[in-house]
Amino acid sequence: MAVKLTLAGETHEIEIVRRRPHLVVRIDGRLHEVADLGATGAGPGAIAVDGEPVPFVRAESLGTTFVRLAGRSFEVRYVDPRDAAEAGSGGRDEIHAPMPGAVVSVHKVAGEAVTRGETVITIESMKLQTALVAPRDGVVGAVLKQEGETFEKDEIVVRLEAIAGDA
Amino acid sequence: MSPATISFGRASAAPEEHFPSAAAAPFRKVLVANRGEIAVRVIRTLRAMGIASVAIHHPVEARAKHVRLADEAVEITGQTPVAAHLDGAQIVEAALRAGADAVHPGYGFLSENAGFARRVAEAGLVFIGPDADTIALMGDKISARDFAAAHGVPVAPSVMPTGDLDAFAAAAAAIGFPLLIKAAAGGGGKGMSIVRAAGDLAEAARIAASEAERYFGDGRVYAEVYVERPRHIEVQVLGDGAGGAIHLFERECSVQRRFQKIIEEAPAANLPEETRAAICEAAVRLAASARYKNAGTVEFILGADGRFFFLEMNTRLQVEHPVTEMITGLDLVRAQIEIAATGRLPLAQAAVRARGHALECRVCAEDPEHDFLPETGAVLCLEVPQAPWLRFENALDEGQKVTADFDPMLAKLVVHGDDRAAAIDRGVAALGALALLGVRTNIDYLAAVLDHPAFRAGDLHTGFVAEHAAALATLPPDSATRDRVLLAAALGLREVRELVEGVPEPHALIGHWRN
Repeated sequence: MAVKLTLAGETHEIEIVRRRPHLVVRIDGRLHEVADLGATGAGPGAIAVDGEPVPFVRAESLGTTFVRLAGRSFEVRYVDPRDAAEAGSGGRDEIHAPMPGAVVSVHKVAGEAVTRGETVITIESMKLQTALVAPRDGVVGAVLKQEGETFEKDEIVVRLEAIAGDA
Repeated sequence: MSPATISFGRASAAPEEHFPSAAAAPFRKVLVANRGEIAVRVIRTLRAMGIASVAIHHPVEARAKHVRLADEAVEITGQTPVAAHLDGAQIVEAALRAGADAVHPGYGFLSENAGFARRVAEAGLVFIGPDADTIALMGDKISARDFAAAHGVPVAPSVMPTGDLDAFAAAAAAIGFPLLIKAAAGGGGKGMSIVRAAGDLAEAARIAASEAERYFGDGRVYAEVYVERPRHIEVQVLGDGAGGAIHLFERECSVQRRFQKIIEEAPAANLPEETRAAICEAAVRLAASARYKNAGTVEFILGADGRFFFLEMNTRLQVEHPVTEMITGLDLVRAQIEIAATGRLPLAQAAVRARGHALECRVCAEDPEHDFLPETGAVLCLEVPQAPWLRFENALDEGQKVTADFDPMLAKLVVHGDDRAAAIDRGVAALGALALLGVRTNIDYLAAVLDHPAFRAGDLHTGFVAEHAAALATLPPDSATRDRVLLAAALGLREVRELVEGVPEPHALIGHWRN
């Protein structure tokens, strides 16, 4: 049985090879013996991997497990086997807000042509202004957030018209 | 330095500080016109001095740490939480209602607002800071610069603003490049940019003027010579308001991003003794000439050739004041309160001593892997290392949301060592032992900066993080570490625990058909 997890954008599989006398797993082809599974739950903990104690701090929220280990922080996501295929690529037709904030100024109106890298909208977040640029050449389809309006992280603020011929 | 000397703990109290206690509490009750870590820090000193504290809070932060720690709390309202904290009239009203006799402004918000200081004074309360006229003098970069120049403090060649941006650009170009464009009323890097070619000048001036108008309601900008590989050196001063002033040595804040400080230290690294003396002496001269009252910071830019120029004076407690406290053993908030109450300096220059080296790292909710964009999330788990040489200045609670309502700075980690190398070792170890999970932070990045050979060598300038960007980039973990991280995460999941512990063998094996 393999457990799928993603870390830094890559998917890894933990395959259970043996359970007794100790848990043995295979991760990306490497075998590890886990003699101590540690406690469950958030906070400081430790497991024993290949005979060595591995201390860490762990917390979980909304499918993401945050792990502090070896002086670094990591975010691990559990890939639920019941979930369908990964989300499609998308994004090429939209400008997403990289962070929560408010629109300072809109430089293009619907119907206007833009070139890749051209500023379409200027936003402000945490007192810093950032120009959001067109992800490709095209025509502005809709500006979804106007001057002064606020938005959340990853919200779509501008949509480009689909490229003719695209399905 | 072994990380074993650090122990984990849930609390985050600062080490006990040993200062001479005041004969009698100079005030009965002080309203802290701020929030977050600085409000918590001010309340700590008020408590130590036997002074009652009053917190203010917007409804979104009604259960925040500074509110819980204060003896009393008053709710303030506003369209946004920040707007509430900028509403001076409402805050003075709150102070009067609570029966406070003084107001401590902290840093940011209204701390350098002359109108607020005046309003506090007119209400019959003591503003723990300089008088309104001094704030106004130093708050305008142009009047501050003129004042400094008139009192023998070196200033960089510059062009004054006019209403006409084109005329301004032409005059600025005559100084030569590179040039620094700044907002006249600004601070904190807003409305600032470096211009290297004449062709970019007009556009840079237009953007700076627009940002200045937006942030400060004053679109005037000015330009000055830009010093290459500059170091940011600032001097902590105390003034009695009657021309008496002393310095508490310098701090170095050269490690910055987008003009925002991220690591500060005291004393400055590898600073020749005669340069240190000259800079500290210039700062004291400025504070004394201005009849400055309160703790203040005089900022300078220091070139590789040893020339230094006045940048600005901050008429308030500085974010990075703990590094000065750690090397001098003084409590700057106590000093502010005593000066405000008595008009006397708490000690003479000759009594000020520096011991060892201190470093402060600003822990921010931001993503170093994506251009340090601000991050939101929650503080799911907070584990803070404890040591007598460590301060973790914060107002964090486990479970607390990290939103875009306020500044992205979450906390300050401050360490002290016998010398700079020891302080760096302790900083690296403490950052490694610090766990703040649930929101992306720059903690690992800060450790990488401290551990960089150029930082260790004290080879600092304000372009440090840009110059070493490649070396400071996050590297993927080695496969052994990665596997351990995956196991640590997986074994915390109920689904996985059931799989490895609870499910009979045959059922688990069925899963193999997937492969």
